[in-house]
Amino acid sequence: MLNLIKTVISKLYILVLMAFTIWYGFFLYPVIFGHSADHDVEVLVSEEEHGGSFLDEAQNEEESMFDAALREQGSTATTNLGYMVVEEQYVQGHFHHVGMKVESDDTNLCLRCHGAVPHDKAKSIRAFLNMHAFYVACETCHIYPKEGASEWAFRWYNKETGDIIANPPGLTSLDKSMYGNYGAKIAPGFLKSDGNFRFLNGTKERAFVTKYLKEKDILSSTQQSKLKKIIHRNINEKPLLCDSCHTSNEDKAYLPFVQLGYPKRRMYDLTSTEVVGMIEKYQDFYMPKFLLPGEGWHEGDVEDEK
Amino acid sequence: MGLLVGETVHQNMTRWHSVNILLGEKSKYALLLVLLISVLGSMLWTAPVQAEDELNCVLCHKFRGLSRIDESGNFRLFYINENLFMKGPHKRVNCMDCHRDIEKIPHDPAKKVNCTAECHLVEPSGKKKFSHKPVEKILEKSVHGRFDEDGKPKEYQEDYPTCKSCHEQPLYRPLSFFKGVSSGVSRRGLGRCKTCHQTGDFAEDFYNHVTSRLQKTRESKEIVEVCAKCHEDPAFQKRHGLDNVVASYKDTYHYKAIRFGSDRTADCVDCHIVYGESVHSVESMDSPTSATYKANIAQTCRNAECHHEAGEGIASYRVHVDYNNKEKNPMEYYMLKFFTGLMAVVLYFFIVVIFLELLRRLFPNFSFSSAERAEHRQSKSVTKGGE
Repeated sequence: MLNLIKTVISKLYILVLMAFTIWYGFFLYPVIFGHSADHDVEVLVSEEEHGGSFLDEAQNEEESMFDAALREQGSTATTNLGYMVVEEQYVQGHFHHVGMKVESDDTNLCLRCHGAVPHDKAKSIRAFLNMHAFYVACETCHIYPKEGASEWAFRWYNKETGDIIANPPGLTSLDKSMYGNYGAKIAPGFLKSDGNFRFLNGTKERAFVTKYLKEKDILSSTQQSKLKKIIHRNINEKPLLCDSCHTSNEDKAYLPFVQLGYPKRRMYDLTSTEVVGMIEKYQDFYMPKFLLPGEGWHEGDVEDEK
Repeated sequence: MGLLVGETVHQNMTRWHSVNILLGEKSKYALLLVLLISVLGSMLWTAPVQAEDELNCVLCHKFRGLSRIDESGNFRLFYINENLFMKGPHKRVNCMDCHRDIEKIPHDPAKKVNCTAECHLVEPSGKKKFSHKPVEKILEKSVHGRFDEDGKPKEYQEDYPTCKSCHEQPLYRPLSFFKGVSSGVSRRGLGRCKTCHQTGDFAEDFYNHVTSRLQKTRESKEIVEVCAKCHEDPAFQKRHGLDNVVASYKDTYHYKAIRFGSDRTADCVDCHIVYGESVHSVESMDSPTSATYKANIAQTCRNAECHHEAGEGIASYRVHVDYNNKEKNPMEYYMLKFFTGLMAVVLYFFIVVIFLELLRRLFPNFSFSSAERAEHRQSKSVTKGGE
């Protein structure tokens, strides 16, 4: 019996050593031949030339744009100033330093199809709208209660986990560089009978979108249209306008700033003459046709309107 | 602004009364002239004390999400990190000094900034309005210029760099020399400046500006990354008939040291710029005035901060050797193949031997020959019988 145990142990020991020898053989391969990696790139280039790929000079501009966007990955840049190191998101062609890495919103279901920079139609204010999309969930402006229905409640959710969080501390920060970059977004919901809060886009809505994206390729085009209609069933035809929140009468603001943790200083900023006045200017000069479907601002509209 | 200039005049006049007693008539007028120049100089220098956000641009641009996708599919970010903006020489420039087409708020899409436009700052040595124009002139004459010697546009115009291809908004990299050299501002050193230069941020800005210029504006690793943006791109190399110079440089000891954090070994600009010239003046290695021209290489290596005692033999060191290019570097190509093969044969030979040895220990009696297997069984039964 003892001999048998001894034999089994020694055989196992040998098997482990054999496995290690095989692994070592694989491990050594890149160590010995790794320097030819650059050569592989050259081979890749020459192969792609024949395949009409992104390196093919004959490809048109649209293809180049598409390929470049596909290859683009979220990269970071580091600037060492000696006494401090600036680590930031790298944005191609951006001259000014960003100075921070940005957490993406992994939980918002709209962004799964529409992306994190979704506004594009109203050309004069699309950057402003995208700015708000950074800390306000889509449904906050695009879904609002029907007339006579009870009002939504609002909470912040963590961009990475989707969980309700307390008012983000960045709101009260005096560091202007952190404005809007709270790692959280405001989203609407309602209080259930048990007193708990439920986001408007909750588990059920997420499940719809997840299932749709998973099965999209096997659905017929008609089915796809039907499902998209169901997913978007609650979206209002026109979203809320800027002055719903940026109003000189802060008591009438659509979003409950105080309840959401905005200090009075920030709340006055949002409802100040500077901001409210600028919005009025925008409405007068820039977006008279703003948000009428398909009639966003176009180059030349400004002059025409004047 | 008037107040600032007034203060400077007042300080100078106070000094004037005290020296009046000590000096004769001639010296007095000479000093008056000097003081007059210094007052004018102060006026010119103090004019742009600090960029003030006169139009409150950060009201909107302080929000990180201010962005859009443009018609070319590029992500355009309009965020300004005010903290970092104030850490570089551009802090003395107003937004509209660069973004000149913005005339009203809210504004239309801003046009591209012309970095060579004259700035409202006055360059103190020449008393002229500051401009990056001289850089453009140097760049035009360099290998990175868009036009050839005959003034004709070179092929693949879009590949030639503009300011923004290599530069982001510059940031100060101040140095402290007060007791030993270290990074950052020496509060004690600055304290001495501020004893006399009390107006605004003059002393701090001047200190940052001068000490930052006493070292590389960017650390070596960042410089390599800047050059690599274009020179590491296989399609770019192919269009211009260039080798992968970044990969070959990364094989050298110079880069290994840089990778481990050294800022003292040679990076791209140390070898490709004639010692003491502008970093924008890179020339082709075929140009006789180039730092990398065959006859000039030894001199480039011998510059005061590197191998200053090296002989001519140092020029035989080849930095950019592409070991995979058989036509260009046959010796290196075959040498590499030989040693790679030798290493592979030796290592894999022993790996196979060890594996077979282990296999034998796992199956000590295994044999392809049935006679041997029978013999072994027999000897085993004899051993058992003997026991």
